[in-house]
Amino acid sequence: MAKKWGQRVRNWMANKMDLPQDVMMDLPRITMIGQIHVYIENHRGLLAFTDKELRLLLKQGQLLIKGSSFVIKTILPEEILLEGKIDQVIYLTDNPGGKK
Amino acid sequence: MKNQWIEFLYGRVTVKVSGKGIERFLNVLIRNGIHIWNVKRHGTETITFRMRLRDAMNIRHYARKSECSITFLRRSGIPFLAKRLLKNSGFLLGAGVFLFIILFLSNVIWGIEIKGAKPATEYKIRKELDKMGVKIGKVQFFVKNVEGIQRQLTNNIGDLTWVGVELNGTTYHLQVVEKNEPKKPEQLSPQNLVAKKKATIVNMFVETGQPVVERNDHVEKGQILVSGVYGQEGNTELVAATGKVWGETWYKSNVKLPLITNFKVYNGKEKQKQSLLVGSWEIPIWGFGKPEFEKYETEKDVRKIHFLKWDLPISYVHRTMREREEFTREYTNEEAEKEALNMAKKQIKSELDEDAIIKDEKILHKSTKNGKVILDIHFKIIENIAVGQPIFKETPE
Repeated sequence: MAKKWGQRVRNWMANKMDLPQDVMMDLPRITMIGQIHVYIENHRGLLAFTDKELRLLLKQGQLLIKGSSFVIKTILPEEILLEGKIDQVIYLTDNPGGKK
Repeated sequence: MKNQWIEFLYGRVTVKVSGKGIERFLNVLIRNGIHIWNVKRHGTETITFRMRLRDAMNIRHYARKSECSITFLRRSGIPFLAKRLLKNSGFLLGAGVFLFIILFLSNVIWGIEIKGAKPATEYKIRKELDKMGVKIGKVQFFVKNVEGIQRQLTNNIGDLTWVGVELNGTTYHLQVVEKNEPKKPEQLSPQNLVAKKKATIVNMFVETGQPVVERNDHVEKGQILVSGVYGQEGNTELVAATGKVWGETWYKSNVKLPLITNFKVYNGKEKQKQSLLVGSWEIPIWGFGKPEFEKYETEKDVRKIHFLKWDLPISYVHRTMREREEFTREYTNEEAEKEALNMAKKQIKSELDEDAIIKDEKILHKSTKNGKVILDIHFKIIENIAVGQPIFKETPE
């Protein structure tokens, strides 16, 4: 219950104080440059990587990126830069409520 | 992405990881602050990525915990370049030595050419040059400079009037002008001997010709002393009169000599400094600090360093600092007089022929003015007063 409360307070703050949502809510920030680059901040680790698929763990759920000839240009604890031909960016959320 | 050049500087390796749970292994690496990039998948169980060299040592530690095996594929960057360079340092050393040898050989004397000298003189010059150390195979810096060579050659070899020394690349070119001792011209044309100045005859040595004057005669300038017209009247012969006529002549000379003179003398103490001049930037090599002399004069000798036929903008500078001392010479009146007299004698001698004799000197007048001794001296000198004067053949009437 306490967690829920915190979430709500943060959500409210982000709304009222005009702060970016990714900072307040621990959401990933995904920047794409055309089809060739994806830059994902605030991920929680690598789950799977092949040259056609990249699966990242997020705070809530997973992110699946599909495409071809993938190369991870840089990978840092919370950031990743992916290069290749990106076809799809898919959120996989088992339960949209964000249950831990 | 971080600056690739920094990674290049520190060295980087390409790592191949194969096995199961590669993603988990990567996560472990990343969490532990190991920076990896260019992650590529090759097949199902293999991945390659690049990482820093300094992290490469730690990676084994993490790999042991996972089920992956690691191989290092490529190494690049400065540390590996340096290693390879070290391995191939022979080439580098060779190149360096080669350049150095050429540089060295460009500054060696490779030839001495002497032009305009007779073989005998040439031999003398070569001997003198040898003594100076100007030899084929010597380094140019340790040889006197061109002016010095020129001076020493002209001073030490009497047969030379002038010698021009020029350093052209690695060859010294010497242009020699020899003294042509004038051959005594065969005086075949008839001549008289006449007096070159007013004198009293002291002695006569007549070789040919008819003496006209006698001892103790007083002669004027231009007066015939020995006639070239020989024989009795009506039956005369024209000859070239030769001989010497010694006459007593008079000279007046005026000398001034200051009583107190300041001299600047070197007392022999000196300090040497060597340096290398690169452009306008001077790098001292040997001899540091200021000389401990108060007054000194600096002699600077700059030698260009050659490379093949070019002059490099690098020169070798040799400085000699000589301590100078002020020295005051003070004469008493008597000493000054004596000295002035000597000076006057020397001066007169230099004006006269070598065989002239100073017979007598007399001080006519002496005075001291403004700290100077002024002497008027009268010299009696015995010298050869005879000079030839050609006789023009008179057309017989």
